[in-house]
Amino acid sequence: METIHRINHAHSQAPWRVQRQWISIFLLVVIGFGMIATLYLMVTSQAAIVGREIQDLRLEIIGIEHNNADLQTELAHLTSKGEIERRAYALRFRPIEPEELEYLYVPGYVAPNGVTLASAPELQPSLPNTPSEYTQSLLEWLDEKLQAPGRGLR
Amino acid sequence: MRQQYAWRSMLLNGFLAFVATLIVLQMVRIQASAEAEQFRKQADDFAGEYKVYYPERGEIYDRNGHLLAGNHTVYEVGVDTTTVRDPHSVAMAVSVNLGKNYNTVYSNILNPPPGISYLIVDNFASPEAVAYLKELKKELNESENPTPSLVGLEFSPRLERSYPENSLASNILGFVNLEGRGYFGIEEKYNDLLAGNAVRVWIPSDPNRAVEIPRIPNGTSLILTINRDLQDAVEKILDQSLYDHGARHGTIIVMDPKNGDILAMASTPRMDLNNFQNYGAIYSNASEYNRAISMPYEPGSVIKIFTMAAALDTGLVNPNTTFLDTGEFQIGGVTIKNWDEEAWGMQTMVGCLQHSLNVCLAWLATQLGPQNFYSYMDRFGFGSLTGLDMAGEAAGRLKVPGDADWYPVDLGTNSFGQGISATPLQLMTAASAIANKGHMVTPHTLYAMLRDGHQFNVPPQYAGSPIKAETAATLTEMLAVSLESEASAALVPGYRVAGKTGTAQIPTPYGFYDFSQTNTSFVGWGPVDDPQFMIYVWLERPTSSIWGSYTAAPVFSEVAQKTVILLDIPPDTVRLQMLAR
Repeated sequence: METIHRINHAHSQAPWRVQRQWISIFLLVVIGFGMIATLYLMVTSQAAIVGREIQDLRLEIIGIEHNNADLQTELAHLTSKGEIERRAYALRFRPIEPEELEYLYVPGYVAPNGVTLASAPELQPSLPNTPSEYTQSLLEWLDEKLQAPGRGLR
Repeated sequence: MRQQYAWRSMLLNGFLAFVATLIVLQMVRIQASAEAEQFRKQADDFAGEYKVYYPERGEIYDRNGHLLAGNHTVYEVGVDTTTVRDPHSVAMAVSVNLGKNYNTVYSNILNPPPGISYLIVDNFASPEAVAYLKELKKELNESENPTPSLVGLEFSPRLERSYPENSLASNILGFVNLEGRGYFGIEEKYNDLLAGNAVRVWIPSDPNRAVEIPRIPNGTSLILTINRDLQDAVEKILDQSLYDHGARHGTIIVMDPKNGDILAMASTPRMDLNNFQNYGAIYSNASEYNRAISMPYEPGSVIKIFTMAAALDTGLVNPNTTFLDTGEFQIGGVTIKNWDEEAWGMQTMVGCLQHSLNVCLAWLATQLGPQNFYSYMDRFGFGSLTGLDMAGEAAGRLKVPGDADWYPVDLGTNSFGQGISATPLQLMTAASAIANKGHMVTPHTLYAMLRDGHQFNVPPQYAGSPIKAETAATLTEMLAVSLESEASAALVPGYRVAGKTGTAQIPTPYGFYDFSQTNTSFVGWGPVDDPQFMIYVWLERPTSSIWGSYTAAPVFSEVAQKTVILLDIPPDTVRLQMLAR
């Protein structure tokens, strides 16, 4: 029994064993940091990619708005007073003379009172309903937890 | 051996720890140094840049929804001198496609100004030219040869003001300059609303930190009370009138006397708003941009209707009150005479207006007394701004007792429109009280505003009631009878109208009047029983005749005939039949 105890003691105190323990701990820490760094890089890179996509979409919206403005102005040019008049004369129309006018009584007709150019109100972007766990980076989560008054980490 | 390695290891560890400590100490020292703030600022400067996003400028429509002012895309073309590889090709492409000087562009790329790494080559490049350059750049990029290359040539789109109707209603709209600021008319008055609010966003240089570009609401769009078709017709009539009567300039305004809606406002000269750079060549000063609101003048006999309105309103006279016109009237030591220097004998008040007798009206003013007369002139808004929602309105001048340059004779001359200055719009506003049952309207050009898909209509406003409704009705009838009795050229077939001519001598800079030239005017409205339009005509220095009855009156009739067609106002007989049903 004494012998077994001595062998165990000698084995546990062996220098190569102590060294291996330290190396294991060091590797564990390195792997831990590596995992965290990898996770962090994955989340932030995904967030950056999504951010860039949103930016691109915004720029696309601006481009479409510019295009809309161009088309609207082009349409206004095509229907401008001078252009319509030119086309009307080309089609052999001419301005009416007062004596050629004939007014008809239409029962129930109500003349339009002013123009309404309002379109439907623009849709407001709805609030994001994706849980923050899926959108936050680890640092953002940590920052939020630390800054939350009287809460701390759970 | 093992001991020796241990010592070496400890020495190396100690050295590294020492270096690490030094680095940490240096970091702390820098953080706490006097220059720390400067370093932080430098770091912030390089961390990103602020970029300003401008909203799309609001559009301007006429009352029927026709676009009068919109936007279209133009490009800023620039060269990034830090990335450009082939300055020769860039300068050549810009020279050929954008019409820029090759040598200037080439030398600027090779020798950019100190501290400048981005050169703007063209601020207003057309989309077509830019599309071609983009395609060329892409093709050259895809080729295997390093040169020619357009790397470094950059394109930034933005919106610029565009006026589809060119010069139509230019005096009402105004224009937007290269910096995006509105000048004159609607563009200046509503510049803040139209321009919207620019948003400044910090864009980080770190590609991992993508900042969302905020959604920028467009500027507010405006719907005007202007009727595009009527505006066009009025401008054509005005131009033809200037030619027919040899007038230097002119103004015509059409307004709804019930609510103050300006339906058309033409003035000369006009300019193509898409080429606003020609402003300096067309106008010598700002007041010429829109004579209807910016250029007060002595209107002459048009003022007589307000003198008569005051006399009727106070009960001093009625339409049948008689006056013996001897052809002369003394006031303030000056003899007032009629336009023809003749005596017209016994006249009723209708006759005084019909024959536009200065003597009769000067007598009325003295009977009213200065206090009453000027009180009414003030209530009619003379000498004050009308409150029109356009930039550049002038107030005119009404001298009153107590002013250093007022003399007793002014009471007499003011009664028939000399010695008093007003803009055509002021006269029209004052006349609206007579057409609108005693209630004076505030003229306006804004019908509604459009923002975020909502339309906000602007309600009409009233500027007081200078006279009673009965006075307005009586005077309208007197004016209508006056026109009918003399078979005026202002009459409109099928419609009963009321109005008054004006012929005014023009004061010279030396204080005297120029007897050889006149300003001729006409203000009128109809149909008399239910006024739906009011028209003011002013022709400057006509040469075909010096009299308003031969120049301005027929122009009024022509405009009125066009107006009733375009506004769908049936002749009186038809309208009354419809009302009777």
